[in-house]
Amino acid sequence: MQSPAAAFAWEFGWPRRWIPVALGVYLVAHGLLKPLLLGSGATLDLGDGYIAFALVPFSFTFMYFIAVFSFGLNGDLAARQSIYPARLFTLPVSSAALARWPMVYGLVAMSMLWVIARTAAWWPLGLNLPIVWPGVMMAVVLAWTQVFMWMPYGFRGVRVALAVTVLIALDTLVILAINYKVSEAALVAFLAPQLPVAYLCACLVVARARRGVVPDWAVFSRTAADETARSLSPFRSTAAAQLWFEWRRNGKSLPVMVALVLPFELSLPFITGYGSKTFIFELLLFILLTPIVMAGFAGATVSKANPFGREVYGLTPFTATRPLTSAQLIAAKLKMAILSTLAAWVVVLVAVPLGFAWSGADAVLIEWARWGTDTLGAARAIVLALLVLGGSIVTTWMMLVQGLYLGLTGREWIVKTSGFVGLVIVMAIGPTFEWISDNADVQAWLWDNWRIFPAILVVLKMTAAIAIARRLSRSGLISDRVLVVGAAGWAAMVFVLYGVFVWWADTPMLPRYLFLLIAILAVPLARISAATLALAWNRHR
Amino acid sequence: MAEPVISIASLSRRFGEKIALNSVDLSMPRGAVYGLVGANGAGKTTLIKHILGLLQAESGSVRIFGLDPVAEPVAVLSRIGYLSEENDLPGWMRVDELIRYSRAFYKNWDDAYAEELRQSFALDPSAKVKDLSKGQRSRVGLLVALAYRPELLVLDEPSSGLDPIVRRDILGAVIRTIADEGRTVLFSSHLLDEVEQVADHVTMIRQGTIVMSAPLAEIKRSHSGQSLDEIFVSLVGSQT
Repeated sequence: MQSPAAAFAWEFGWPRRWIPVALGVYLVAHGLLKPLLLGSGATLDLGDGYIAFALVPFSFTFMYFIAVFSFGLNGDLAARQSIYPARLFTLPVSSAALARWPMVYGLVAMSMLWVIARTAAWWPLGLNLPIVWPGVMMAVVLAWTQVFMWMPYGFRGVRVALAVTVLIALDTLVILAINYKVSEAALVAFLAPQLPVAYLCACLVVARARRGVVPDWAVFSRTAADETARSLSPFRSTAAAQLWFEWRRNGKSLPVMVALVLPFELSLPFITGYGSKTFIFELLLFILLTPIVMAGFAGATVSKANPFGREVYGLTPFTATRPLTSAQLIAAKLKMAILSTLAAWVVVLVAVPLGFAWSGADAVLIEWARWGTDTLGAARAIVLALLVLGGSIVTTWMMLVQGLYLGLTGREWIVKTSGFVGLVIVMAIGPTFEWISDNADVQAWLWDNWRIFPAILVVLKMTAAIAIARRLSRSGLISDRVLVVGAAGWAAMVFVLYGVFVWWADTPMLPRYLFLLIAILAVPLARISAATLALAWNRHR
Repeated sequence: MAEPVISIASLSRRFGEKIALNSVDLSMPRGAVYGLVGANGAGKTTLIKHILGLLQAESGSVRIFGLDPVAEPVAVLSRIGYLSEENDLPGWMRVDELIRYSRAFYKNWDDAYAEELRQSFALDPSAKVKDLSKGQRSRVGLLVALAYRPELLVLDEPSSGLDPIVRRDILGAVIRTIADEGRTVLFSSHLLDEVEQVADHVTMIRQGTIVMSAPLAEIKRSHSGQSLDEIFVSLVGSQT
């Protein structure tokens, strides 16, 4: 290796050499399958589902490149210190070179990704996409992310807030420009000059980080902090101490992320000027989905055995040697997830009425509420609203904790395989729906037999739950008494939900056992129970 | 005869092809200071992880206070003070928060003793753990491992982050105090002069096998006039 440029190229390129290879293989395989399956002259059905299928590998690679070239995989994103690896600060090169090479290679990687993606759109899909601006946009997003990642901050968490705010603002401007049919040249003229500006900013922030500059904006609150230090009261119990630990480590992420995104969503009626009922309905749907989607991101950290070491899967000795059972450690995580979920939904339930009232969209909501009470009756309308809200809250919680049984195993191969399987499933959803919507026979069969699917899922869920319960009992991780009480509590919740379903929608069109199946699937059981086994497997290797 | 604090019989462990521990037998009586010495990769940390229940015995048995540390982690870990070689204390906690958090887990936590240790270690309660120097982090780790006066103190390479004065004056004094109070200390180290200074009993480990385990005085008597360093080289065949 003759130069710093070559060393950086090796660092970024060699461990990730399989990505362009995999994309190339995907592209060629995709192109070859078309004439093979459909015939050489056939055109592909470019429904939304198919395009989503084609886009998933590229979206995944884009996110991966952002993480790699900004060194975002290397440390605590919320920390005040720069994320730029300190080991590189001792290299005999200028700070500008330290900023330059990751930015240059990132730019090259993003450009290549866009070239491959555009080629894939043209062949085999036959789509003509814009030539330059999306590639420039990808490079600009990466460049600003690099600046925000490498900058030291005075308060913890500012990095995430600033990066999310600026990048969403940038995305919003570009989406508006597309909406108003701004030309490609104008978009490039808006985006391209940002690259040298971002480079200059990166040189400055890397130089500051290299000098060890970490601003301290807490000087004014120092006295209050000292006061807090003197007045810490003991925890009531070990469970309270562990809950505090989990909350401080993971609990705030979800409500903060929701609080950052909501203002943009609630400001859309002002920006776009759309005031139709359909738009308000879609907006409300997006807002209700926001905590659930954000919980998916936050859940990735919650389920990590070692959140502050991104490449480390095992538990730290500090956590592993807490004098708590594995079940108690899991219980603290589950309680933290409940508090985090409730905090996020409090933000939504406070912000939405205020935002809708401010934009005038509350009139539409009131109209729907009246229509609902007139059509369904007051009691049923209220119960429906509560079911939607409660279901959303439970789903948010599940998104936070459903990965525990995988992440806490501490086995790299399990975590990576599950990620790959998840990606394949996501890729398969779009084409599957396209296939169903294009095939009348399949639709007819599904119409006649759809009840079999919840039944199969219930059988799988209950089989897994019984196997997990037996394993928990045999290993002594959870006492038989607690298992029985837990199972009884779960059954009680299922029957309450079943009762509500039957009361709300009792109709000869739907058999009652179907409500029972849905209730069984709706109340969490197997994956949550498996988390204790996963942690114990990791903790006592 | 009183039950040994640590009782290990025929313990073996493999990591892939590598034999990390090979039929290890060890019995530690109450009130002793045990020095576990060996070169890097000899199996010291693997043995300690079995004692803490972080590794399950593939074959053989491990009993701490007569209990299986994997099956009964709470009963065992609540009586052990542990300072990790990795020094993995949560960096986001302040020193006072770490003390407050740790005290919740131990019935015998002694606030006065914790404060005494904090002052003698010159630790700022409002400082974040991640902002402390390596030596200061070791002192915080030592504080939370000692403040509940554990029956067994396990120190994995405790000297790696401490300067010589701290090693001699604090670590040495702490270990002696604990032993004088009738509690047990197991510490691993590759600094043989340090082991010679504080240990009553020395166990030497080489490639997962215990090559010698005996009271220090007896070792010195049987290797007339040789230093521990020389004895180690003659037994293990290399420098630590």
